[in-house]
Amino acid sequence: MRTSKLRRCLLTALVFAVASLAVACGDDDGDNGDAGAGVETTGSATTGGAAAAEFETITAGTLTVCTDAPYEPFEFEDESGEFTGFDMELLRAMTTNWGLELSVTVVPFDGIWLLPTAGDCDLVASAMTITPERAENALFSDPYFDADQSLLVRAEDAETFATLADLEGGTIGVQTGTTGEAYATENAPEGAEIVSFDEAAAIFPALESGDVDAILQDFPVNAFRSTQDELFVVTERFPTGEQYGFATSPENTALIDAVNAQLAQARDDGTYDQIFAEWFGTT
Amino acid sequence: MVLTKRQRTNAVRLGFYLLTGAAVAAVVLVPDWRDLQRAFFQWDIVTEQFPDIITTAAKNTVLFTIYGFGGGLTLGLILALMRISSFRPYRVFAGTVIDVIRGLPALLLILLIGFALPIATDVRMSRTGRASIALAIVASAYIAETIRSGIQAIPAGQMEAARSLGMSYSRAMVTVILPQAFRIIIPPMTNELVLLLKDTALVSVIGFTAAERELTRFGRDGVVSSANATPLVVAGLVYLALTIPLTRLSAHLERRAGRHR
Repeated sequence: MRTSKLRRCLLTALVFAVASLAVACGDDDGDNGDAGAGVETTGSATTGGAAAAEFETITAGTLTVCTDAPYEPFEFEDESGEFTGFDMELLRAMTTNWGLELSVTVVPFDGIWLLPTAGDCDLVASAMTITPERAENALFSDPYFDADQSLLVRAEDAETFATLADLEGGTIGVQTGTTGEAYATENAPEGAEIVSFDEAAAIFPALESGDVDAILQDFPVNAFRSTQDELFVVTERFPTGEQYGFATSPENTALIDAVNAQLAQARDDGTYDQIFAEWFGTT
Repeated sequence: MVLTKRQRTNAVRLGFYLLTGAAVAAVVLVPDWRDLQRAFFQWDIVTEQFPDIITTAAKNTVLFTIYGFGGGLTLGLILALMRISSFRPYRVFAGTVIDVIRGLPALLLILLIGFALPIATDVRMSRTGRASIALAIVASAYIAETIRSGIQAIPAGQMEAARSLGMSYSRAMVTVILPQAFRIIIPPMTNELVLLLKDTALVSVIGFTAAERELTRFGRDGVVSSANATPLVVAGLVYLALTIPLTRLSAHLERRAGRHR
């Protein structure tokens, strides 16, 4: 917020120089429309009982969410252009209870947890693992999903690259800034080359074309892909104990409290299980 | 009040001075410099960037530029000569190719060549190789048009005179026309080189290893690991350290070329 206010001030000052300087910087918050109205959430939409919470959003009446889509089955656009997937449906259940619109901003994953602080969105929901490094610059919700890392290879290579150790001399595709990248950097055999990609969607063509020999990323994503596409199989799963969380700026405890209350409620009343079953079959 | 011409000029000039002064005052007084420095220029993060930002990132940026420009110059020269050929199919072909390449965003061409080429064909080539080819193709169209304008700026009499001395078309082109044309197009070619150097920021879309990162990618990764914008500022300064000498060199070459004419 700080930087955008500065930028706006500077621009105005440069254009109007003397005259409008005082006006432009003196009273900046009233006229820009993103002051955001407080939202009353009673949490009483279904079971009730959750404490009333109040938080502000960037745009009044809307929860703006940053995500790196497409990342099936967590966030992607369906045929009608609506964002769907596990994360999105879970959030939609929350925003419906709050009476807010859900607005999705697609951004690259690297550094995505810094965006609420930058004022780009209220919340990050991007199948993002909670790590101590990320928690230094973002405030995470309670974990909402257990995920591990895994190795996806071309079906014809299933025996050649059965484990990570087999990839000596091979190339491993990862997504920039992910825990999969960190795991690969730490655990890949000496002679393996690690190739990073900006977006998850770009790695699958690279595996298909032979540009990389394996993809190391979150198990649910690889597993979902192998059920959708018979070209690929998951050969190894690495139990890392990783858990996904939603994130916002370190100051925004009000929003995270409200999210946590909603998560607890969704687990209690069966909403969570219902959405889980929709994307991953049985619980 | 009627002002003389001189008074009017002075009044306008005074107005501009006041405006400039106010703008400078705004830049100096409005921002919170401590905040800005914390966000964009933390000294310990600056020092962390070295030496990798030079030995890896700047090196790769320069290599991509050299490969791209070298390839672009070769392809561009061929396209330019085809474009001014007296054989119509050559002209049509070169014209179409140039239009298509100039009409597409560089990022899209890099994606097409980087991703689609290995899937569509069985061509096996390194990522850096594909990225360099994509950059060369992007550059070739602009370079071709620049060379063509340079050739056409040489009076037709030069070619006629050379031919009447018994030179073949190609000999006259290589020994008489092109040397003069290249002298004319030094400034626009430098411009092209600087643009290409900046376009290398796009190649990371097709994937990169730690050793293949160029300046922009290096800066972006630094932003993530430090949660601070300083690495981008440092990358920007390195870009300037590369591009400003280039434009200065071009100005120098231009002056020297002028003396030799």
